[in-house]
Amino acid sequence: MAKKLMKKTFMEPLGKNNPVFVQILGICSTLAVTNKLQNTMVMTLGVMFTTALSSWTISLLRNHIPSRIRMMVETMVIATYVIIVDIVLKAYYPEMWKQLGPYVGLIITNCIVMGRIEAFALQNKPMLSLVDGLASGLGYAYVLLVIAFVRELLGTGSLWGYRILGSWWTNWSIMIMPPGGFFVLAIFIWVIRETIMKEAK
Amino acid sequence: MKKKDTFYHKRLYPLVFMVSTTVFCILVTSGLYLTTLDKAEANELSFTRRAILDAGGLQYENTTAGIEKTYTDSIEVEKGYYIANGTEGKRFIIPVQGPGLWGTIAIMVGFEEDLKTFAGLAIVSQNETPGLGARIEEPWFTAQFKGKQPPFTLVEEGTSALANEVDAITGATRTSEYFRNLVNRSAADAQRIIRGE
Repeated sequence: MAKKLMKKTFMEPLGKNNPVFVQILGICSTLAVTNKLQNTMVMTLGVMFTTALSSWTISLLRNHIPSRIRMMVETMVIATYVIIVDIVLKAYYPEMWKQLGPYVGLIITNCIVMGRIEAFALQNKPMLSLVDGLASGLGYAYVLLVIAFVRELLGTGSLWGYRILGSWWTNWSIMIMPPGGFFVLAIFIWVIRETIMKEAK
Repeated sequence: MKKKDTFYHKRLYPLVFMVSTTVFCILVTSGLYLTTLDKAEANELSFTRRAILDAGGLQYENTTAGIEKTYTDSIEVEKGYYIANGTEGKRFIIPVQGPGLWGTIAIMVGFEEDLKTFAGLAIVSQNETPGLGARIEEPWFTAQFKGKQPPFTLVEEGTSALANEVDAITGATRTSEYFRNLVNRSAADAQRIIRGE
């Protein structure tokens, strides 16, 4: 029973309850960081780390947090983890930190983090919340990576910074600009909803 | 559990809880910040030194130790500028700062001894659009200034032919223009800082 629940908690955010294409959460960062695979990877790792651990922490404290101030406590915990990510990147991956700069701080405002805490961690046990947070982060991660793949390939003709397409390729600059994010995300959501989600209904 | 309505539970407890959480979080983050401070500062310094070496056109091993070694061996620090003593003679390097599209762009510009011809150029910091304006950090962009003399004019990406032409970045016209202004100004800055004119 417990195992089944664990599995369900893990699988749901990856598919039919995906934070990005079902709940449409965390769109701001989906649009902002997906123009390069490398940046996207680091961003999603940061979000995964933050959602998993802040869900776990809040779940540990869930019976002690006075409900009137729970939002403040949640924000505080999330901010702490995000600052940890920022400090670690700055000290050990300075090149990456320079590129991501402002985006790391924006994890705090990622709706998925707070959404999972409010919807899940406050009612469930720590381990289960950790799994839920991690799975939500993963669900977010793979959608972003797919979008980044398309945008980087079409926008710069390269993947992970390496040139893939030959010199015959004309870069679609629009793809790496913000509008490109809207286009690719919208097409992605449409395709998913028309094919896989339709069957599920 | 039955004492939930007391003054303590309703008023005091939330306050105490919030204050202690805050203090705990601050302790954790500032502790981590302080323990990594040296490393972060060393990274910062290494970035700046690498930019100076790049601007001076010096060869070096791209590790913290390698940068450090070449820097101490061949860079002289003067007031407001640097002198690189490389294999190709003396070069003068000055820091230049100016506005970009989103924030300040800080660069190091290296000059040959005439203080007009560019020996090299490197970005210290910038906040331009990732994937577009931020491409000013890419080697092909900074390398094209070498051996040329300002004032520069911008031409379409990949078409520069004349000695005073540089490629702009497609999709980042504004950043390219700000960058052009910055490098065009740098020759006058070099005269002023190094010769005191």
